[in-house]
Amino acid sequence: MNVLYVEDNKINAMVMDKMLSKNDSHVIIAENGSQALKVVKEKTLDLILVDINLGLNQMDGCELLQRFKKLDILNNIPVFAVTAYAMPGDKQRFINIGFDNYFSKPVNFDKLLSVISKINTSFNKNQPD
Amino acid sequence: MSFTLEQFGVLSEKTLLFLFVLGKDGEIIASNSRCEILFPFDKNEIVGKYITDFMIDDDVSVFINSMSSLSDKTPLINKSFHFSSEKEGVLALKFDLTLHNNLVYATGIDTTKEYKEHKALLTISELTKTGAWYFNPRNDEMYWSKGCYLIKESDPSASITSKNGVSFYPEESSDQVKEYINRLIKDKKQYTCTEKIITEKGNEKWVKIVGQPIIYKNEVIYINGTMTDVTDRYNYIKKLKYSEETKQLALKGIQSGLFDYHVKEKEVFYSVDFKKMLGLPLDKDFVPEEEFIKMIHPDDVEKAIKRQQDNFNKKSKYYYNYYRIKHLNEGYRHYDIYGYIKKNKKGETIRMIGNLIDVHQKKINEKTIIESKNRLQAMVNNGFAYTVLLDTKGIILMTDEKSVKIIMRSYKIDPTKEKCRFIDVMPLNFKNSFAHEFNEALKGNTVKKEIERITHKGDLQWLEAKYTPILDHAKMVNSVLVSFHDITEQKLAEIAIKESHIKEQELNSLKSNILSNFSHEIRTPLNGIMTVSNLLLDEEKPEEREQLLIYLEESKNRLLDTINNLSNFSEIEAIKNNLNLKEYDINYTVETSYREYKHMAEAKKLVYQLELDHSCPQVRIDEDLFRSAVNNIIHNAIKYTNKGSITIRVSSKNSTNSKNNVYISVTDTGIGIDKENLKKIFDPFMQESFGLSRKYEGTGIGLSLSKRYIEILDGNIKVKSKVGKGTQFNIIIPKCQ
Repeated sequence: MNVLYVEDNKINAMVMDKMLSKNDSHVIIAENGSQALKVVKEKTLDLILVDINLGLNQMDGCELLQRFKKLDILNNIPVFAVTAYAMPGDKQRFINIGFDNYFSKPVNFDKLLSVISKINTSFNKNQPD
Repeated sequence: MSFTLEQFGVLSEKTLLFLFVLGKDGEIIASNSRCEILFPFDKNEIVGKYITDFMIDDDVSVFINSMSSLSDKTPLINKSFHFSSEKEGVLALKFDLTLHNNLVYATGIDTTKEYKEHKALLTISELTKTGAWYFNPRNDEMYWSKGCYLIKESDPSASITSKNGVSFYPEESSDQVKEYINRLIKDKKQYTCTEKIITEKGNEKWVKIVGQPIIYKNEVIYINGTMTDVTDRYNYIKKLKYSEETKQLALKGIQSGLFDYHVKEKEVFYSVDFKKMLGLPLDKDFVPEEEFIKMIHPDDVEKAIKRQQDNFNKKSKYYYNYYRIKHLNEGYRHYDIYGYIKKNKKGETIRMIGNLIDVHQKKINEKTIIESKNRLQAMVNNGFAYTVLLDTKGIILMTDEKSVKIIMRSYKIDPTKEKCRFIDVMPLNFKNSFAHEFNEALKGNTVKKEIERITHKGDLQWLEAKYTPILDHAKMVNSVLVSFHDITEQKLAEIAIKESHIKEQELNSLKSNILSNFSHEIRTPLNGIMTVSNLLLDEEKPEEREQLLIYLEESKNRLLDTINNLSNFSEIEAIKNNLNLKEYDINYTVETSYREYKHMAEAKKLVYQLELDHSCPQVRIDEDLFRSAVNNIIHNAIKYTNKGSITIRVSSKNSTNSKNNVYISVTDTGIGIDKENLKKIFDPFMQESFGLSRKYEGTGIGLSLSKRYIEILDGNIKVKSKVGKGTQFNIIIPKCQ
């Protein structure tokens, strides 16, 4: 399955790539919003992970989500927030904005991988034989 | 026994009597020698002459009539005739004419003196309109001289009794006239009275009657009197009295008294009213000057005398003075003195006649008005910040001292002395709304309006202007009171409350932001550390492990930086106590910082410049502290600048300040900071953008630390910025003393 990870912090991007790759996912990394929008148009994706703080003068994760929503092709692709904003209320805020799920940093990979595997199962079920 | 012829001869020749024997036609037949003074010629020539030849013309016919009226029945006539004598002038002779044997024997006595007296009296009587009368109370005989008849316009030949004498008096006074006579008889004293009579022709006259008793053996035997026509005089006096009365009444009306000041004699004459006014005894007409001066109020004397002298010395004849005079019973009262000055030929004032007018009530009223005005002014001065009373045209009628001061300061006009419109002397920002509020007040509405003004000291003052219409007795607005209430303190308090409320909110959001930021800054590297650790456990390829270890190292460093910043911030007090102050060349220190960030600026492809000034004086600083302050600023500048340049400049000169301190500026062409945030730039944890839109890494306390560090070094840091253009930080470090 194809996962887009939008993350400006290189180390975090790298380690996510390594972690998901080990679990049979193909990770495409976008450093900022515009790269991510480009990827979305070109590739077939199963899941999008979005960091919120994408750096100075850059489109942030919330804005990026709104841009995604405007694209019809993304109707059925889940978008998860993966962020270091982890104060009480943050999760609710991001869910309210429209993220399908929320993961705080440091990322609990057990949980993330379990959610991904569920998506994968349904993905496989829906695959035409 | 009869005279002998000789005796008779002697008697006839020696006598003072004039003796004639006349014919019935007046021819002189014989005369004694006494008669010779009548004749202008010798005695011998007298024969054949007529006595009438020597008589005055008027008497001739009288004489002829008298002679012809002599008869046997009336052989004796008594009559006076007047003769013209060359020697004696006029001679008045009173004759007894006796008829005997057709001859007339005339015996004349010289009455010239009596005649003259009579004539004179008659003249007096005519000229003075006076008559004489005689009354004998014992037989009721009454006699009137010709003058009395003239006064009473009655026939002189009519006989007079006391009864018809009284009849000339009107009924109401006739008893009184009788009473005068009775009292005279009783008291035996002269009496005088003035009474009205009605003449026979019906004219009204006033007569003055004087009666004089003639006494014989202590009893009044008759009364001599005079009667004078005083009608003219009476009328004159009456008029005079009337006009005097008019004047008196007029003067009474204005509470004034007449006085006549005889300067040379140093005496003052007072009219009755004057004396009444001052409670002086009425029997004394004159008062010495010095006593009058004693009556003047001691506080007024000196000035009053000075004014008096000025009055006397000036050319004008009109006198004016004012002072308080003591009333005998009622204390001092205010008087105005108007007078007319009389001078002698030398120009010295000899007399001054004038009016003393009681103006006490007026003065008291004036004083009361002034006092109430002062009280009102005091109220106006102390009641509000500013108070202005306007007429319906907006002209200032009255205002308080502070407003006068402000208006004089700004417009050089004193509204208490010059007529001026309020709108012409008010601060500009008042004018916008004034007309509206003023018109509302003219309609009878009370209006309030908050306004601001800048005081001459440059402070902001908030005022609540209240426009209150003032109505006259007809309920029409006749003026508008504009009172300004200083509500600055109240406003400042409101603002302070608002600000503190905002501040509280900001602090609250700041608190959560700080936490959120720290949480974010800690979680981000922690995410790397934990994930890498996780991966390391399973990774066996050595080159992969190597790469993971490098990631681990970077994440660890970033975590440490965050924690160090936080601890630095809380350790300011400790820093202050452990300063390591030394003299440094600032150029060297700044250059070190410059180099430290060179790679970072170059990575962003920025023009990165350093301008040094080697004429800079040495400064006394803690180098580590100073460097971290400058580092934060340089780091910040690079962080916020995506293209353009960063210029770091050291200088000992400053365009506005030549105190020869050391100036370090860091100028970037970055995103800039808006006004609102510029104020908070040095607040701890404040970042140009918050929360979800926070777009850079860092705790946000760097600039706050820089400011604290520079201030610990007795320096100062300032910032100016323009959104989209860039930001400039200026650090001032004092040179070594």
